Amino acid sequence: MIAVETSNLTKRFDGLVAVDHLDMEVQQGEIFGLLGPNGAGKTTTIRLLLDIIKPDEGVIRLLGHSPGPEAQERVGYLPEERGLYRNLKLMDCLTYLAVLKGMDRKLVRKRAEMLLERLGLGGEGGSKVKALSRGMQQKAQLVATLVHDPEVVILDEPFQGLDPISTEQVKELIRDLRERGKTVVLSTHMMNQVERMCDRILLIDEGRRVLYGPLEEIKARYAEHAVLVRCSGALEGLIGARRIEQRERERLIILEDDALPQDILRQLVEREIAVERFEVATPPLEEIFIQVVEEKDA
Amino acid sequence: MRKILEVARHEFIVSLKRPSFIIATLALPLLGIVGLIVSAYFGGQAGEFLEQQFVGTPKAVGYVDQVGLFTPPLPEYADLFIPYPNEEAGREALFAEEIEALLLIPGDYLDTGRVIGYSKGRGLPTAISVSEERIRPFLVDHLLAGQVDEGLRARVRAPMNLLPVSLAPQGEGSEDIASFVANIAIPYAFSILLVMAIFTSSGFLLQGVSEEKESRVIEILLSSLTPIELLAGKILGLGALGLAQILFWLGCGWALIGIAVTGLALFGAITLDVATIVLALVYFLLGYLLFATLMASAGSLGTSAREGQQIAGIFSGLTAIPFMVSSFIWTNPNSLLVQILSYVPLTSPVMMLQRLGMTEVPLYQIALSLILLILGIGGALWAGAKVFRMGLLMYGKRPSVAEIWRALRQA
Repeated sequence: MIAVETSNLTKRFDGLVAVDHLDMEVQQGEIFGLLGPNGAGKTTTIRLLLDIIKPDEGVIRLLGHSPGPEAQERVGYLPEERGLYRNLKLMDCLTYLAVLKGMDRKLVRKRAEMLLERLGLGGEGGSKVKALSRGMQQKAQLVATLVHDPEVVILDEPFQGLDPISTEQVKELIRDLRERGKTVVLSTHMMNQVERMCDRILLIDEGRRVLYGPLEEIKARYAEHAVLVRCSGALEGLIGARRIEQRERERLIILEDDALPQDILRQLVEREIAVERFEVATPPLEEIFIQVVEEKDA
Repeated sequence: MRKILEVARHEFIVSLKRPSFIIATLALPLLGIVGLIVSAYFGGQAGEFLEQQFVGTPKAVGYVDQVGLFTPPLPEYADLFIPYPNEEAGREALFAEEIEALLLIPGDYLDTGRVIGYSKGRGLPTAISVSEERIRPFLVDHLLAGQVDEGLRARVRAPMNLLPVSLAPQGEGSEDIASFVANIAIPYAFSILLVMAIFTSSGFLLQGVSEEKESRVIEILLSSLTPIELLAGKILGLGALGLAQILFWLGCGWALIGIAVTGLALFGAITLDVATIVLALVYFLLGYLLFATLMASAGSLGTSAREGQQIAGIFSGLTAIPFMVSSFIWTNPNSLLVQILSYVPLTSPVMMLQRLGMTEVPLYQIALSLILLILGIGGALWAGAKVFRMGLLMYGKRPSVAEIWRALRQA
């Protein structure tokens, strides 16, 4: 089932095309990466989905509805520009935002406490927001996004400003959402941070679709015919290897067209080289993006 | 509607807890209580005491009587008016600061009425330190002493004690001075309360919008409800707060007047014109609605709370116009300028509230003013909603006039 769908979506500001005829579908229960560099049009796309701004052209369907009150209540949104009511107690703030999303006031406290506990903020419900550290406020904002148990969760740069431990806590929470059948739209410019989490991605640049589809397919499409090896022995003279490049601690072996990865692995075993890591090389998403944009501009 | 009420509830409760609101709400009745205590326990003495603090104890006035009608002084003036045999002796006493001023009453006084007043210092010759009100009874009493009876002499000294009575077309108006004052004072008080409510409730509205924008909460809010729902909820919640504040003030005022009337007999029984009170409430509510919409829109345009307040200052400044021209209202509450300002939606609530107590405002003028005010509110809501929507998502940049114009033209 399709959770989010756009067709021919376009938005212009003062003649600048922020979103340019964008088509996409987000399946229910998947983690969908809305990726692209800064200024690519990600936040504008999200604001269009949430009916915060109106499109100039195109159609949006959110959980089977046009953007509006019905769809809004079933969506949780963590904006890139974050903030809560600084002078309110955290629980009062969470309650107000959840009730605006249609949640019964009586049910908010229990669920909010569970989420606060999960993100290491247990017992902070009675604290004023301004008394919380920056990192705690970031996590509290995520609780505000999830407290009404939305079906679709849109997270704009969710890891921005988080320390590694908090980043891991948030990643775990996102994976948990997928397991519970929730749809997660993850928007970020830090592609390497989320590429392992996403089922499918949409990569946009200057408001236009650059790459779209299952992450594995895209990676396979742009995979070099190569293997990545970490080992201590010499690799010269391997049959089927066109050339060898050093990549930090690993070496990348570019294969001849008719060579197979298992041919290389067999030779390494035969030479009794201690292999720590051996895998078919796939380029990072960021490299694929640069390659695609360069090809487009060429 | 549910979301509007939720926003209204939130705004009401959050603002109710603000220390600035609590202080502002309690300060006014406390001032009233202090005033009542001063009146009750010190009575007329308080006025005299205050006068003495500011004016001081008057010194005697010297005079040189060349016409021979004022010496010796009557016993009741003996302490305050000291005769001198000649001008030189009087001047010496003036420079020795034994007297405050010196009056020279020449021999031709009866023909000319001319009296020369000398004061010490370099001020203008007209700036005599003794008021005419102090000198006149002295002259009158001495001129008429023994000529007429005591009652007539007192009437000549104070010939008029004017009691104004307004006549409504239906018949004679109230002659009761307390009711007369109350019917002027209450609409006037409403106009002041309206301005206070605009500065408190609309101020909170402006502050709230600016803070939500500055703290970026606005983006989350707009993913839950429309800008119009947000605007309506804020206006409703803070309007209710402003009304509650005013009702509290009126309740306190009513109680204080009750104490003054029954307990202290400071006033007679007061009868109020119900139609005036109802109209005052209507103007108050409509006026608040107009200014609250304008203030919220202004708040959405600023990049910070301070900038929002600067923009909103344009509108809050307009509320002062009726007070700036209040001398016109007091002298002629039906003058053309006053009438025009009674029709302009930005000034009509305060202006009409002031006029209602002072004059019989024709019904067609009230109707026209209300129609224009309602149209003005409609226009403000229409434009305010568009500007509000545009302004809310503009961070770090104030929209230009061209951008505001473009937003207004969009459907």
